[in-house]
Amino acid sequence: MINPFLEIVVPYAAFAIFIVGVLYRFVSWANSAVPLKIPTTSGQAGTLPFIKRSFYDRIDSPYNKWEVALRMLAEVFLFRSLFKNTRYYQSRHEHRDTRWLWGFAILFHWSFLIVLIRHLRFFIEPVPEPFIYVTELIALKIWVPTIYITGITSLIGLGYLFLRRLFSGNERTISLPSDYLALILLISVVVTGLVMRYIYKIPLAPVKELALSLIVFQPVAVDVHWLFILHLTLVSITIAYFPFSKMMHAGGVLFSPTRNMPNDNRKRRHVNPLNPPYHGITREEYNEMYKDQLEEIAERDYNFRPEV
Amino acid sequence: MSEEVPPPESLTFERKHKSWRQMLEPVTEKDFKHGYYHFWALKKHIEPLDIPFAREIDPMQRDWELPPNWKEIFLQNFEDTLRKNRAFKVFMDICVRCGACADKCHYYLGTGDPKNMPVARAEIIRSIYRRYFTKAGRIFGELAGARDLTEDVIKEMYYYFYQCSLCRRCSNFCPYGIDTADIVWWGRRLLNSIGVTHRFSHISIEASARTGNHLGLYPLGIAEALESVAEDVYDVTGVVVDVPVNKKGAEILFVAPSADYFATPHWFACMSYLMLFHEIGLDYTWSTYASEGGNFGTFQAYELAQKLNHKVYEEAKHLGVKWIIGGECGHMWRDKHQFMDTMSGPADFLEDPVSPITGTYFENAADTKMVHICEFVADLIRHNKIKLDKSRNDHWKVTFHDSCNPSRGVGLLEEPRFVIKSCCNYFYEMPEHTIRDKTYCCGSGGGLLTEEIMELRMRGGMPRAMAAKFVHEKYGVNMMANICAIDKAAFPALMEYWKLPVEICGIDELLGNALIMKGEKERETDLRGTPYRRED
Repeated sequence: MINPFLEIVVPYAAFAIFIVGVLYRFVSWANSAVPLKIPTTSGQAGTLPFIKRSFYDRIDSPYNKWEVALRMLAEVFLFRSLFKNTRYYQSRHEHRDTRWLWGFAILFHWSFLIVLIRHLRFFIEPVPEPFIYVTELIALKIWVPTIYITGITSLIGLGYLFLRRLFSGNERTISLPSDYLALILLISVVVTGLVMRYIYKIPLAPVKELALSLIVFQPVAVDVHWLFILHLTLVSITIAYFPFSKMMHAGGVLFSPTRNMPNDNRKRRHVNPLNPPYHGITREEYNEMYKDQLEEIAERDYNFRPEV
Repeated sequence: MSEEVPPPESLTFERKHKSWRQMLEPVTEKDFKHGYYHFWALKKHIEPLDIPFAREIDPMQRDWELPPNWKEIFLQNFEDTLRKNRAFKVFMDICVRCGACADKCHYYLGTGDPKNMPVARAEIIRSIYRRYFTKAGRIFGELAGARDLTEDVIKEMYYYFYQCSLCRRCSNFCPYGIDTADIVWWGRRLLNSIGVTHRFSHISIEASARTGNHLGLYPLGIAEALESVAEDVYDVTGVVVDVPVNKKGAEILFVAPSADYFATPHWFACMSYLMLFHEIGLDYTWSTYASEGGNFGTFQAYELAQKLNHKVYEEAKHLGVKWIIGGECGHMWRDKHQFMDTMSGPADFLEDPVSPITGTYFENAADTKMVHICEFVADLIRHNKIKLDKSRNDHWKVTFHDSCNPSRGVGLLEEPRFVIKSCCNYFYEMPEHTIRDKTYCCGSGGGLLTEEIMELRMRGGMPRAMAAKFVHEKYGVNMMANICAIDKAAFPALMEYWKLPVEICGIDELLGNALIMKGEKERETDLRGTPYRRED
């Protein structure tokens, strides 16, 4: 099926919206002032030398920029804060660590990332041998039959995230239609991909031809399977929607002042560019207001030692 | 104890699961519950603070008498906030509603009201953000989780923004660090801009702006209150201690929350300050102009916080001190650690904070020049500069409540424990999910320490009370130490309500009990007058 509109116009438009939109969001965040240094300190702060700080304290309550970098890495790649998740059992007033959400979130995000990396092979010709080797390794390829586990696991992760919104009471209450929309888009992208990979094994040569022509900005519409057109269109919708949706959390976490600032507030001053001047009673005005009483304090030589 | 609060046995914690559409419907005065909503601000308190449109209404009345162009003002200030505060803007955009914060909020656990989930509390204002500041919200409206700004929405904000104690427990668990305290703090500031605000905080802010302390005490009142603290020190120890007030040229300015020389059990910690400073011969002074460490402005608005914390530095300059020590207080230390230097600094006229007793340089306070009393004391103990008799605390089986702000806003976790362990033989931790960075609020912080919302406070304090109950039953804990003036005011009522025979103290009180002073008589009671049981 040859369709220049869906093969060329839509992907280019979506990609342009994605790039411009994401940059716009970053710039608009960066343009807002940071009035205060407000890290959430989840561990012992840097302090007296004999107060020992564990490795976790350094991550959770960073005292310098290196420790902040560690915290951000742990946050972005390991979902450190989500890992701490607990559940409160009301009937017996007890807390338990709950890592289901963390586990499935990690499963989805990492699987999806690896799947994305493996997609690069469509844009490179010839595909370097080490690239194939490494990506097959990290995608946990198994041979009988040939399956890349990450494709499956990203679907499992998404499925969990979707089902918990449907079946957990709290989740149902706070889930907006846009939350489902993002998940449905991602699920449909993954499903169409998996169907092409494992069920209707569509010819890959034209797909690669199209991908290579798109990447060098010399687009040529080619005859590809309709399933691929569907996949490509869904991907286009998803990335065009990305900057306007909650999927922007991917970039937003980098801007979060409770995570990306060091807890060295008393050591290094943070400057608020919009700090207003002080409006209030000055010491001189205060001296005037309470003249008599302050004089009495002076008469006692500034010392209220009790008489016994 | 307020009589209106139903007894604990009769409380139910049923969680209601509304649909997302119901969540977008504002909760108004028709649904406000007694014991949950705050009294309205009085003109005499907010007019001097330049809060506009002061009027006195009952939140239960239908017409809130909003100014004619309130919507314009509100949205204008909203836009202004987005520009002034990156945190606010980012937090409006990046929530994915994963629900990790939901059961972290003590008010949600205590009330079961779905709008008390931190995510839902933020959605109250986020829905307005989407409607007026995002394309998706403007086009898709309700489907994008957006709703129009109406008077009812303002009512809902008033109701729920004042059911948050700004404890940041949710922020600790949020994968993106979304800080509900920041959203609520700036949200309250937005409400202030159209004269919608509560009474409690502003009584104290107005008093503190005028007199230097939340209680509105005049200079002589402060000095005489401190004198009576010193009299009590004499009664227990037989030692006469100096109480320097407004002394120019002292080396150190000491700033404590005003409750310390006014209320119990704060009073006993204040006795310990005097005893400790006398014992080590510290050249220090109290101040009447900066007679308040606490800062209720941090519950309301940036400008109001600045109005109060400015005084500490101005006074330090006026008295010509070298640096500052701060007493036990929770939100005060969020303010002193994270806000004061930015709002009122730089304190470049002060000198490096170096302990005159041990010579330790408090590097972590290098710029703000303000050291926490726990850090100062821990350093003294470490260098064996004070003598302690732990057995004088043997009648207390102690647990430590990490106050929200020192733990999640400062990272002050080990120093207090070091002090307690040095002063007490019996120390037991509460369950690990309720301490350190995961600590629970007392239920009364963030401007909620007011009588009319007693039911909310008792419900919100439930997770903490249950943790205390656990250690009380397991180890016989009968004393909960903490380092927060609001905790000390709130916990006695909470413990009484939940029928727990656990007393409350500042950790400095334990220090005062254990502190061996030169020339002291044999103590017959501890600082709060509990007689020591004798073996014979």
